Amino acid sequence: MARGKLQATLAGLAAGLLGNGAQAADPAVSHVDTGILFYQELGGRVQAIEPELNGTLVFPDQHILTLGIVSDTLTGASPNGAVPSSKSQTFVTPAKPQGSSSVTSASGGTVVLPPPSGSGPGLLVRQYKVAPGATPLDPGFSDQRYAVNLGWAQPIDESRTASVSGTYSTEHDYRSISGSASIAQDLNSKNTTLNLAVNFESDLSQPIGGTPTPFTQMSGQLKGPNGSRTESDVVLGLTQIVNRYWILQLNYQYGYSNGYQNDPYRIISVVDPVSGNPMSYLYENRPKTRMKQSVYLENKIHIDDDIVDVSARYYRDSWGLSSTTLEVSDRSALTRDLYFEPLVRWYRQSAASFYRDYLVANQSLPQYASSDTRLGSFDAFTFGAKFGLAVGEGSEISLRGEYYVQSGNQHPSNAIGQLAHQNLFPTLSAVGLMLGYSFDL
Amino acid sequence: MTNRFSACLRLRASGVALFLATGLIAGCDAIGPQPWDRDLMAQQRMQLNPYPVEAAADDHIYFSKEGSSGGRAFAGGGCGCN
Amino acid sequence: MPNAVSSPIVTEEVNASPTLRIAPEPNGYRLSFNAMACPCEVRVEVSDVTVAIEVGLVAEAEAKRIESKFSRYRDDNIVAEINRNSGHDVRVDPETAQLLDFASQFHEVSGGRFDITSGVLRRIWHFDGSDKLPSDGEIKALRLFIGWRKVRWRNPVIRLKPGMEIDFGGIGKEYAVDSALVAAQKITKAPVLINFGGDLRVSGPHADGSRWRVAIESTDHLGKPAGMLEIAEGALATSGDARRFLLKDGVRYGHILNPLSGRPVAGAPRSVTVAAATCIEAGMLATLAVLHGRLAEKFLEREKIQAWFIQ
Repeated sequence: MARGKLQATLAGLAAGLLGNGAQAADPAVSHVDTGILFYQELGGRVQAIEPELNGTLVFPDQHILTLGIVSDTLTGASPNGAVPSSKSQTFVTPAKPQGSSSVTSASGGTVVLPPPSGSGPGLLVRQYKVAPGATPLDPGFSDQRYAVNLGWAQPIDESRTASVSGTYSTEHDYRSISGSASIAQDLNSKNTTLNLAVNFESDLSQPIGGTPTPFTQMSGQLKGPNGSRTESDVVLGLTQIVNRYWILQLNYQYGYSNGYQNDPYRIISVVDPVSGNPMSYLYENRPKTRMKQSVYLENKIHIDDDIVDVSARYYRDSWGLSSTTLEVSDRSALTRDLYFEPLVRWYRQSAASFYRDYLVANQSLPQYASSDTRLGSFDAFTFGAKFGLAVGEGSEISLRGEYYVQSGNQHPSNAIGQLAHQNLFPTLSAVGLMLGYSFDL
Repeated sequence: MTNRFSACLRLRASGVALFLATGLIAGCDAIGPQPWDRDLMAQQRMQLNPYPVEAAADDHIYFSKEGSSGGRAFAGGGCGCN
Repeated sequence: MPNAVSSPIVTEEVNASPTLRIAPEPNGYRLSFNAMACPCEVRVEVSDVTVAIEVGLVAEAEAKRIESKFSRYRDDNIVAEINRNSGHDVRVDPETAQLLDFASQFHEVSGGRFDITSGVLRRIWHFDGSDKLPSDGEIKALRLFIGWRKVRWRNPVIRLKPGMEIDFGGIGKEYAVDSALVAAQKITKAPVLINFGGDLRVSGPHADGSRWRVAIESTDHLGKPAGMLEIAEGALATSGDARRFLLKDGVRYGHILNPLSGRPVAGAPRSVTVAAATCIEAGMLATLAVLHGRLAEKFLEREKIQAWFIQ
């Protein structure tokens, strides 16, 4: 080394090290998450394939653009709301013309009838039979949905971030547009974050054959105009890093929905008061407004080398429906790159006040009624396991399997006549498999 | 049921959440670790939503099979499935 | 070891950090805390106590952050991850990458004398004042795992050969002093002195233009001053065996190990204090000087380095 040159060189190295003032916090990194879900309900019911992509692009000064697209392909058979019977039953529903995905002649005895008079062009009727004792399932269930989501977030000042986002979702008989805005305030050296978000959603139900007038008889006739609905939600959130190992999030959400809430394809059986045999089928009726509230608490805790996640949610709405959810997962490293994460979720729901398994012929009609088991009382369990493998800097592949079981009261004590021998709440079992791949850009 | 008990319960559920929140904020002068103890939190796997695609798929399944909604975040645009 | 001349013993706790103490001084405040296994102090020549506290908090935060992040005594930081995964690629964050770049470049500049892979030698060298020296065989075996040239460092991915380790012990404290000063200067333009266990740096002279006075600790009588230094700008760092050494057969083995031989540097000065513009420069030059062993004095003269040493 030449004289004095060592110090000059070293000064240059030191300037390189100190000049940039490398800070402790890792800035956000541009990242892409992709995944595909395969979902299958047992017993020939719904099957779905859902590929999804989610990208986060980070621009200078933590300006962040998010983009998401999802495609959802559903096929299979879905309950139509009627109860089983000791006799065979026949159902009709409007159907799209030949050549569309709604008509699948291969599925369970579906027959296409000539259009009823006065039903207008382009409309057909599908008729299907259900065997004695079988849960009535509409075999022609088929749908294709696309949704895209765009979001933007940027810091307003040292401790505040604002973000907006919009979503557009479309399927052949339903369209949804929503937008949200939120603001986050950091406190406490960024250990605490307060969050306020509002969301507005506008949905349009465009069922095949139109929206039926509630409590009218099941038919293939042309029905009413499209049904629309709006929903507004507000979320108050608190995120707190409690200590080196524990972060928690507490959210309170309030939502108000107004408009067309019915499932336009769903019917409810009207049965004979003594024998319990079905006499007719009526389209369901739900209230036009729905006010919902929920409280959600999630804890993520670093214990030894594991990360344990425990979350709970309590939900209640003006339809009388309430639910409790509890979910626990534990991520543990098997090797340096491979982790295993088992998960258990328990969900208990209490039925909406207007939920009915069926209606009785000689009783007066209630104001609202629906036999959609999704509004009923049930317990659901999810058992899942995930393997994740790091495959390079910032990249990971994953495989996740889940088993979902939903069971309600199959034999209510007040079931009339032959219904006492029928299964009024068939257990829903489904398996899901998800493949994921995520990487940094 | 629309008796007074359930009305109280409804009010209390939201009240508890707000009380907890204000309690945490009020006493928050020194809550949380010092900046040099935030190393574990910086890891991607300690984020609250590290796998958004997975979370969205789960939310979608539960939204279409159950009567509740909400919690973590908005369900990201409705489907016609509930 | 230089210790800034301290003042009244009356100190108060600072609310925002239970480990930080503050005491008033003639022209400002002195904040003290413990980090990196040594007493740390920050002297701020300002009349507003809230500014002084802020500077103290920020300096303490930097010291503890850097200690947590780069300490070899933790098993959950980036250094532990790199060492635990020797033989595999490990991706590092931007700050660690900058330190690795610095270590790599300085390794070249120092002719291989400065080597952050030499930390494995502490497995066989325990500088506890006893006479237990490792055998030649032990030293030879360990030298297989030493040598920055064996490391594959391509920003931002590092890969050590299996069994190797990196250790930032030689630059961590000096880097902390510089980082803390940079952070303090973002808060105030007032004169600031940052001293972490004898490695110190000032932002400039006192407001009246006079120099800061620091005492150098005696190497034989620890805790007692051997002399006074005056510093108006830049940094001071000390390398030496005052506290960590082995003593066998009347020969004192200092704790600075030569990575090329695997043994303590022969004939090294007991203590070298170097003055330079930044603490990291001062620290590197002091370490280099010691690594020159008997030739330390000649090295310092040749390079025109401002230094004091005790033979």
